[in-house]
Amino acid sequence: MKERYKKYIVEIPEEMSIPYAGIVESPKVNGEQPMMLTGGWRIYRPVVDHDKCVMCKSCVLACPDATVLLVDGGQKIGFNLDYCKGCGLCTWVCPVNAIDRVPEIDFEDGVPFQDALFLLPHVEALYAD
Amino acid sequence: MAKTTEITVWATGVVQDKEGRDVCLVLTEAAFSEGFFTQAFDNYVDLPDRINVQVRKYARISDAEIENKFEYENHRPNIIGVAEATIMKGINVCKGLQDGGYLIINSTKAPEDLLKYVPEKERKRLKAIACVDALGIAPEQLIDYSGAEGAEDVSAIGLGLGAAMAGAIAAVSGLVKKESVLGAAANRTAAKRGYDEVKIKVLK
Repeated sequence: MKERYKKYIVEIPEEMSIPYAGIVESPKVNGEQPMMLTGGWRIYRPVVDHDKCVMCKSCVLACPDATVLLVDGGQKIGFNLDYCKGCGLCTWVCPVNAIDRVPEIDFEDGVPFQDALFLLPHVEALYAD
Repeated sequence: MAKTTEITVWATGVVQDKEGRDVCLVLTEAAFSEGFFTQAFDNYVDLPDRINVQVRKYARISDAEIENKFEYENHRPNIIGVAEATIMKGINVCKGLQDGGYLIINSTKAPEDLLKYVPEKERKRLKAIACVDALGIAPEQLIDYSGAEGAEDVSAIGLGLGAAMAGAIAAVSGLVKKESVLGAAANRTAAKRGYDEVKIKVLK
């Protein structure tokens, strides 16, 4: 490389760089980006019938948020309910109709409870007495 | 001292965008016909609107000129409407609620069952919690963006779910008269049924 182009090369820190082929890792359970939790959007929760499931993994490919997980050492399908927004694509692609959509309000747990959306420190004061 | 009542309505993005807006618009139009100073607007932070994201719609009703007219968020609401009950599971809808506030939810469940989603601090401030089966009364959820961002609605105001919710809010809070709500909503029957069929649990 010619010497005069050297000044245009910038070191980009790891956390700011775009991953290879733009592929982002699937969100981890209980962690990562607390401001981007999408579990609260969910109105219908996906529930797998493990007796019907044939482990074709179509739902793993179809999930736009990569929230379909392989649990029990890759033997079963599970969901990361912190980020699943209940779009229903997994139900749609399932060839054996093993994934049901059950109203989220009928479950006791599963949704991370947030105090507010996108609350910045200086706005917090406006909510106080 | 002017008395301003602030209303926050929580709805799901895109699907209930118009319905959530209609709740605010029906109430403000009804109040305007009674001679109140009114204002209705969307939350700016929630945008861009995505399917099923939690969105907020605001209304202010005052007996004098609204002082905080250019504040774009209701930080201390008096009345909170929830157009889809599942929203309450993921977020504290009552944040910043003023003492003696009301909470009106669109749900087939009893008000007592949904009280567990309100944190202790806000629960003490609630005067009454109410449930109305607005989706059962008026199942129409029209997706129409013509009325967004201050523009005029091409479709009529209060065609579906929103009319029933607005009727219920009027019944619980006594903010506006029944006749003016029925006059403001395009779906008169839904507003009337919402007004009559709301289940109220008074807490204090």
